[in-house]
Amino acid sequence: MTDTAVKANDISVLEISGITKTFDDKVVLDGVSLTVARGQTVCLLGPSGSGKSTLLRCVNWLERPDQGTVLLCGERIGMRKGGVVPMGNAELARLRMRMGTVFQHFNLWPHLTVLQNIIEAPVHVQKRRRDEVIAEAEALLENVGLADKRDAFPSRLSGGQKQRVGIARALAMKPELLLFDEPTSALDPELVGEVIAVMKSLSQAGSTMLVVTHEMGFARETADKVVLMDGGRIVEQGDPEQFFGNPRTERARQFLQRYVSA
Amino acid sequence: MTFNAFLSLLHGAGVTISVSLAGIALGVPFGLALALLRWQRVPLLAPLATVYVSLLRSTPAVTLCLLIFFALPVIGIEIDALSAAVATLTLNTAAFNCEIWRSGLMNFSRDQIEAARTFGMSGPLTFRRIIFPQLWRTCLPSLVNEMTLLIKSSTAIAVIGVAEITRAAIRIGAQTYDPLPPMLVATGIYIVLVLVFVGLQRFTERVYGHAGGAA
Amino acid sequence: MMRDFSLIWQSADRLLDGLINTVLLSLVGAALALALGALLAIPLMASNPVLRLVSRGFVDLMRCVPFLMLTYLVYYGLPRLGLRFDNWTAGLVAIVVYNTAYMAEIIRGIWSRLERETIEAAVAFGFHGWRLVSRIILPQVMLAAGPMIGNQLIQIIKDTAFLTIIAVPELTHAANSIQAQYFIPFATFITAVLMYWALCMVVEVGVYAVERIAERRR
Repeated sequence: MTDTAVKANDISVLEISGITKTFDDKVVLDGVSLTVARGQTVCLLGPSGSGKSTLLRCVNWLERPDQGTVLLCGERIGMRKGGVVPMGNAELARLRMRMGTVFQHFNLWPHLTVLQNIIEAPVHVQKRRRDEVIAEAEALLENVGLADKRDAFPSRLSGGQKQRVGIARALAMKPELLLFDEPTSALDPELVGEVIAVMKSLSQAGSTMLVVTHEMGFARETADKVVLMDGGRIVEQGDPEQFFGNPRTERARQFLQRYVSA
Repeated sequence: MTFNAFLSLLHGAGVTISVSLAGIALGVPFGLALALLRWQRVPLLAPLATVYVSLLRSTPAVTLCLLIFFALPVIGIEIDALSAAVATLTLNTAAFNCEIWRSGLMNFSRDQIEAARTFGMSGPLTFRRIIFPQLWRTCLPSLVNEMTLLIKSSTAIAVIGVAEITRAAIRIGAQTYDPLPPMLVATGIYIVLVLVFVGLQRFTERVYGHAGGAA
Repeated sequence: MMRDFSLIWQSADRLLDGLINTVLLSLVGAALALALGALLAIPLMASNPVLRLVSRGFVDLMRCVPFLMLTYLVYYGLPRLGLRFDNWTAGLVAIVVYNTAYMAEIIRGIWSRLERETIEAAVAFGFHGWRLVSRIILPQVMLAAGPMIGNQLIQIIKDTAFLTIIAVPELTHAANSIQAQYFIPFATFITAVLMYWALCMVVEVGVYAVERIAERRR
């Protein structure tokens, strides 16, 4: 590893501090702070409405938090230096293109083929060479087991296939951080496995991932850190062994009882 | 622009309005008749109605107007400009009205028609007592929308010399060598006319439900 | 009657010239109106209320004015302001200006019903501004717009007939001059009507073909 890479290792890839978000008087996030180190997989758990997805949307500024800061590799997102002037769309885009997002409902672009979906942003946002990106995209499709769907349109794919394309699309950005927003919640139960398998191999390969999920098995086996949210706050965080084996808080115990036994 | 010029524009507006209203008064029931022929799949007449609608929907009002005004006398039917104008708008709007009535008929509840049958009502009686009282309400917003389009296409009758709004504006412009003022006033009159119908459409939508499109 | 149609056959080149002008005016006019309409849809969808108000004002104005009235304004009115066109160009300008409003309204309608999520995904991947509109939004709009654009194209084809009034040599104008020369109005206008019918059929076949392509992506 080079010197700069070692230095980069010292700072967290993602550092969220004191995020607050209110929708029409309803407090959705109430002073949430969280860090994700390079190579870590962090799972955000919690009942629906606990604010996990909103937190994820605050990371790439799809949702603008009322208070708090988000740092990507030490760079502030959403606000210019000084923290008073909000960033313009172009500045936000430069930071967003360093993250890859996987959505609950896939959100593939219906007018583009599988391959076109994957190369769209690398070519037109990151301005990378088309032939190079295509070669990478084909390798990614191979990795997620969809090489034969290269020229299919998203509407012709199953949910599990769509989500694997969604992951390949995010990876093609060569992101420093991968964001997963309940990537398996919209899938039929028998299709969850194929997506989980891809996510596990990404985690093992050392990707930095922040994952909102209800898949307790995935969190337990793969996460480096598990974070439980409830009512817009972090209730408990720790390593999965300890969290699932011996939770410290009563709220975590209740949550695990309901979700793990089910 | 003189006061007289303004008066002749208003007279043109009167012609536009009366010819359009005549077209509506004739075209709406004619459209319903065509729709019923197609809905009931009357042999021979239903396919004829289908061809009529397809043909008329792709015929420009100007061309239709010239055809009626110049061609009818050739086959022995004398027709003055004003009657040709009304005939043009009627035949044109009837094709579009037919489609509106027909989609209303196709969407009409089959259950109600069957219920009427079980009470021993005849076909025509069912139509008069059960179907039509509901049908015209659901079709009205779309019909009013079509009336707005008819007002706009009524300018076509200028081509055979009927002194409606645009024709009056052109004549005043030619007399005064200043075409812009009468045209702007004419445009204003059209805006008022169309807005009245758009308002009417919104009103009927509120009272009777939604139309397919806006003006 | 057979003699009438043989006379028309003798002037077939004139009718054909008219038909070509009608097709040219319609296609060029529709293509320009579609491109400008797509641009005009952007302020229609803008968050800035002034932009929205101005663009909406133009669209609503065009929807209130008869096409012939706008043609007159372009042909007789604009020279007063120092803009002078020949008949053909004036006709084309009128078609483009008028239909830009209708195309913009078609695009705005579909755009506002587009799934918000696919646009949000693009934003998350760093798309913004013109590139977001041109790469992600408009292609999706166009995919859904086929039938409505086809209907508008038919409307444009029919509207070109109004241009006979300012002596543009389109199909109805050609037919009118032939009938005036030989006094055979019935045969000539029927021929013209059938030609318009055929044109509209071609448009409908085209829309059907485009729909087959769009269907694969739905």
